[in-house]
Amino acid sequence: MTTTESTLDRPASPPAFQPVSGARKTKNLVATVLVGLAFLVAVVPLVWLLITVVAKGFTALLSADWWTHSLKGVLPEEFTGGVYHAIIGTLLQTLVCALIAVPVGVLAAIYLVEYGRGRLARTTTFMVDILSGVPSIVAALFVFALWIGTFGLGQSAFAVSLSLVLLMLPVVVRSTEEMLRLVPQELREASYALGVPKWKTIVKIVLPTALSGVVTGVMLAMARVMGETAPVLVLVGYSKSINFNIFDGNMTSLPLLIYTELTNPLPAGQLRVWGAALTLIILIMLFNLVATVVSRFSAIKTK
Amino acid sequence: MKMKRHGAALGIVAAGALLLTACGSDNNTQSGGSTGGSTTTAAGAKPDCGGKKSLKSSGSTAQANAMSRFVSKYNAECDGYNLDYTGNGSGAGINEFLAKQTDFAGSDSALSASKGEVDKAKTRCDGNPAWNLPTVFGPIAITYNIPGVSELALDGPTLAKIFSGQITNWNDAAIKKLNPSASLPDLKIAVVYRSDESGTTDNFQQYLTAAGGGAWTKGAGKVFAGGVGSGGSKNDGVATILKQTSGGIAYVEWSFALNSKLATASIATTEGGTPVKVSAETVGKAIDAAKFKNESGNDLALDLSSIHGSKVAGAYPIVLATYEVVCSKYSDADTGKAVKAFLTVAINDGQTGLDANGYVPLPSKLKDKLSAAVKAIS
Repeated sequence: MTTTESTLDRPASPPAFQPVSGARKTKNLVATVLVGLAFLVAVVPLVWLLITVVAKGFTALLSADWWTHSLKGVLPEEFTGGVYHAIIGTLLQTLVCALIAVPVGVLAAIYLVEYGRGRLARTTTFMVDILSGVPSIVAALFVFALWIGTFGLGQSAFAVSLSLVLLMLPVVVRSTEEMLRLVPQELREASYALGVPKWKTIVKIVLPTALSGVVTGVMLAMARVMGETAPVLVLVGYSKSINFNIFDGNMTSLPLLIYTELTNPLPAGQLRVWGAALTLIILIMLFNLVATVVSRFSAIKTK
Repeated sequence: MKMKRHGAALGIVAAGALLLTACGSDNNTQSGGSTGGSTTTAAGAKPDCGGKKSLKSSGSTAQANAMSRFVSKYNAECDGYNLDYTGNGSGAGINEFLAKQTDFAGSDSALSASKGEVDKAKTRCDGNPAWNLPTVFGPIAITYNIPGVSELALDGPTLAKIFSGQITNWNDAAIKKLNPSASLPDLKIAVVYRSDESGTTDNFQQYLTAAGGGAWTKGAGKVFAGGVGSGGSKNDGVATILKQTSGGIAYVEWSFALNSKLATASIATTEGGTPVKVSAETVGKAIDAAKFKNESGNDLALDLSSIHGSKVAGAYPIVLATYEVVCSKYSDADTGKAVKAFLTVAINDGQTGLDANGYVPLPSKLKDKLSAAVKAIS
């Protein structure tokens, strides 16, 4: 009985404003400081890294030859030549990788979202998860064992692209899957109601709606894959000259150039290392920028 | 409409790519004029250019810079011919050569019979033996950081004791005996070694074994076995640590000692002999006196203990020898011709300017032997 009385005695709702206790204020302060510190810890290395790379590398980028010439015939101590061959190599390897990974990845994502039910879909999701956890060196060694070991084919830029596919595929599948799931079910239903078959609904309604997100995801995946070093160390040789043939011969990419020039103790070699690092950062930044622009301009109109 | 926007974005990317592809150039000769083939070539040393247009080779990082020089000379003297060298380590170089990925290998050590490499190489070369041609020599400098000491002399046994922790102070009697005029401080010796696996460490430990007079019992190998000091990664890591460590001593490739402006010690090869500074000339003397594992024939694998234990007056004994591992006969005649032309350039005109990168140009006696071997490649 007493309990009922006390319940009745209480105000219907607690007062809206209660004085904040000192303990809570302290906790709040401590948490704010900790979060602020964590932010600083995260930002300081990033800014430091950028400043170091820019400070040490930008003089290399100022010469016109840097963007238009290869390193062919350049002696270790000479400050001439450029990284044109490595830029081409990086772009070619990434583009070929994207040509393979994007169709496969997008189709797999469509299957998972639109068709996949039951055991096969679960297995696919599981496999994609495992694939996304594979370290790049393992992907490189797998391609080495398959392409060079089993098939007996030579080292080539194409082998690098193949191992990059393994790294890019899960990212593409995942991001595309997310984007397709975001497409409202009502759009699909409206399409079906008009008598449009399922495949046409996917091609004409679902994909265009999700396109901006898919493109952004692909661009980000490409930017991520560009800086991969392990595959180029194992699967292709270094070259100082320009090579457009991805199936034959050595082809340099920016990470490989950095790795190789590291063994050059001379000031010219060090400048090339930092210059190439800065070039790689700029290249990846451009990709991220394009991804942002694409998503900004082709976002679904909500009005 | 949306598709149009994507089209525009793709168009820009494609146009950018086209622009980028249109203006690239492999020609660096107008800016690097010194590489022109105007140097007078000794009679009979002209390369017979021809065969495969683009050779592939990989291996030792220690000879990567020398290879760059050779290749630029090869480009200049054999117009339209090229070689790509990948510096990915001796082990990888040998493996890629054996797997026919490359045309020849660059290696810090000769093919080892006990690991089966000699037999595998014979299979790779379709029944013809592979030859080890020692073409690039990089001296290893003993560098130190003692405030106020600009000249320092050491010898094999003392080095062996320092790097195994038996001598721990710079004013030790053994060091004083070698440097009667220097005022050595009462300072602890801080050994700095290579923490990564390296041919430099391997050769240095072989030197300590050969010249240490029994004071070095830890054997050779790519990992430092001395058990004292602190490690630095690669040559530049060691050089950086040494600069910050008062009382430090380290072994680094000569090129790094030169570029980091580190003080280098002179080495006495005989008891009471004059200590020898590291230079192209003094190292050349040690190499010229070297013995080969097989004195006859064209496989020029060196008996390294004959260099490391050298007692020749004025010879600097701590050297890293790197080889080109080639087939004596290539089943593809075009490859053989190009390899031959490249090596001809390498051992002749390629030698000029090598000391600027911390390598030692080939001494005449070895050069003659190499020329004979290269001529025999087919």
